Amino acid sequence: MSGADTWTARAGRRVRRVLRAAARPLHPRWWLPTVVALAAAAVVWTLVARANPYVLPALGAVGDQLSTQPGFYLRNAAATLQEALLGLVAGSLAAFALAVAISESSLLRRAVMPLVVVLNVTPVVAIAPALVVAFGFGVLPKLIVTALITFFPVLMNTATGLRSVAAPVLQVFRTVDASRADVLWRLRIPSALPYVFAALRVVFPLSIVGAIVAEFSAAGATQGLGTVISVASSNSQLDRVFAAIACLALMGAVLLLLVTALERRVLSWHESQARPS
Amino acid sequence: MATTDQDGPAVPDASHILVRGAGKTYGSGERATTALADVDLSVPRGRFVSVIGPSGCGKSTLLRLVAGLEEPDTGDVSIFGATAREASAAKSIGFVPQVPALLPWLSVLDNVRVLDKVNRRAGRRRREAAGPAVAGCELAGDPVQLLTRLGLGDALDQRPGQLSGGMKQRTAIARAFALQPDVLLMDEPFSALDEFTREAVQLQLLDVWHETRTTVLFVTHSVTEAVLLSDTVVVMAARPGRIAAVVEIGLDRPRRHGHLDSDTMHACEHEVRARLEQAWTDVLPRDLV
Ligand SMILES: Nc1ncnc2c1ncn2[C@@H]1O[C@H](COP(=O)(O)OP(=O)(O)O)[C@@H](O)[C@H]1O
Ligand SMILES: [Mg+2]
Repeated sequence: MSGADTWTARAGRRVRRVLRAAARPLHPRWWLPTVVALAAAAVVWTLVARANPYVLPALGAVGDQLSTQPGFYLRNAAATLQEALLGLVAGSLAAFALAVAISESSLLRRAVMPLVVVLNVTPVVAIAPALVVAFGFGVLPKLIVTALITFFPVLMNTATGLRSVAAPVLQVFRTVDASRADVLWRLRIPSALPYVFAALRVVFPLSIVGAIVAEFSAAGATQGLGTVISVASSNSQLDRVFAAIACLALMGAVLLLLVTALERRVLSWHESQARPS
Repeated sequence: MATTDQDGPAVPDASHILVRGAGKTYGSGERATTALADVDLSVPRGRFVSVIGPSGCGKSTLLRLVAGLEEPDTGDVSIFGATAREASAAKSIGFVPQVPALLPWLSVLDNVRVLDKVNRRAGRRRREAAGPAVAGCELAGDPVQLLTRLGLGDALDQRPGQLSGGMKQRTAIARAFALQPDVLLMDEPFSALDEFTREAVQLQLLDVWHETRTTVLFVTHSVTEAVLLSDTVVVMAARPGRIAAVVEIGLDRPRRHGHLDSDTMHACEHEVRARLEQAWTDVLPRDLV
């Protein structure tokens, strides 16, 4: 009897706790500031749009665009997302592999680093048209631009992370004559992961910028939100331009959420993931 | 005696750790620091030997030479007849640095087991060579039992980030014991702990050591700690780092809290302090110039 009582009491407490947690976002103190800020932005937007329709389209017109042609925007968003993700994966993997290689060979580091730095200070936007000339209007030049943008942050952070193993840990491994491969796999790479994720948080949203820039440069491209924007703005279709921009912002947010979720899983041990209690 | 005053090259000796005429200088020219000069040390198998001395007298340097992490400029090191390199290649050295040096992404238990996965060939050879179980092997060979004895039975699945300083250091000690090494080298492992934790961990270390009887070279700057733990205390002096005296500790084992107050213990502490002071005043005049 008393067992049942404590069970119901415990269940009741848990239910209340869950409800309270779920209800938190419903409390005005929680959502009101956000809503007020959004409403204020919408009002300012509307005022500017009404005074000067060639600067901003009416919000309603943008909404109409998205709701009447969802397929059109989805298709172009998918094309841009594909370019961004392919470039992201290719650029990150190449950067990670090169970081490992230069952390293992100082000879290679001295040979490669000057090239990498030159590549980094060269504005990728300036290379994009040349890539289009070389590789045409397909996915490849866009993939290359995105990969180039991704490459440098991932390379530098991974290289730093691979060097971040504390000296005493290395000493413990050296006293048992651990091989270089063991030090790499069991110490350097796990230690580098927080640094890799810090870079990924930056380059995930940047990859979309890369894809858009490449689409802008490929004047004859038929797909992608960047193409939609450049075609629509040359036709003064501001509502279409801003509908595409809204899609891009949404994609950026989704990518950031993705990388954050991945980080939570992979880096559960790291202090950056400690939840405030 | 823990030191030898014989000259000549180290004779490989299967029953001692020998350091002969070891010298180590860092830097060169004006900025050169002689961390160690002509150090002779001999540690018989199965003994617990502490090295004590003021900060900067070369204790850590001596330990690094024995661990094979650095080569001496002069002299040599032999670990039960092998060079330091050979000994580490054979996984016969357990090293506990001053900070716990755990892998934050592994649980306590996996941190203790991680060295099993490294240099596997030497590990296999050691197990074959060990043959019939040596006393204490059972404890050291079982990470769970080892951690339980060190008071970490409830923390096996925790990550280092969730542990207190004392728990981290006990995990690092368990990792070193789990190697079942021929020699354990510990560099001031308890210096960062508060006094209560330190006393508890010292006794747990003694408890495990009593069963394994691994040869230990233990660096400390606490006289009480050195006397409580050791069979022999080696007193070092600074500038240049050298051995000033060797004090045998004649206390019975196993040692418990009661010993902390015995007259014999006080007498030993007194002698170690006197030797330290003597070494210190020898240096002072040069410091004042
Ligand atoms: N890697 C190094 N480079 C330069 N000087 C060092 C190095 N390691 C130790 N020393 C110097 O050698 C001396 C002895 O250092 P150490 O062995 O760490 O002393 P202890 O452990 O007794 O405090 C100190 O003067 C220290 O500054
Ligand atoms: Mg030291």
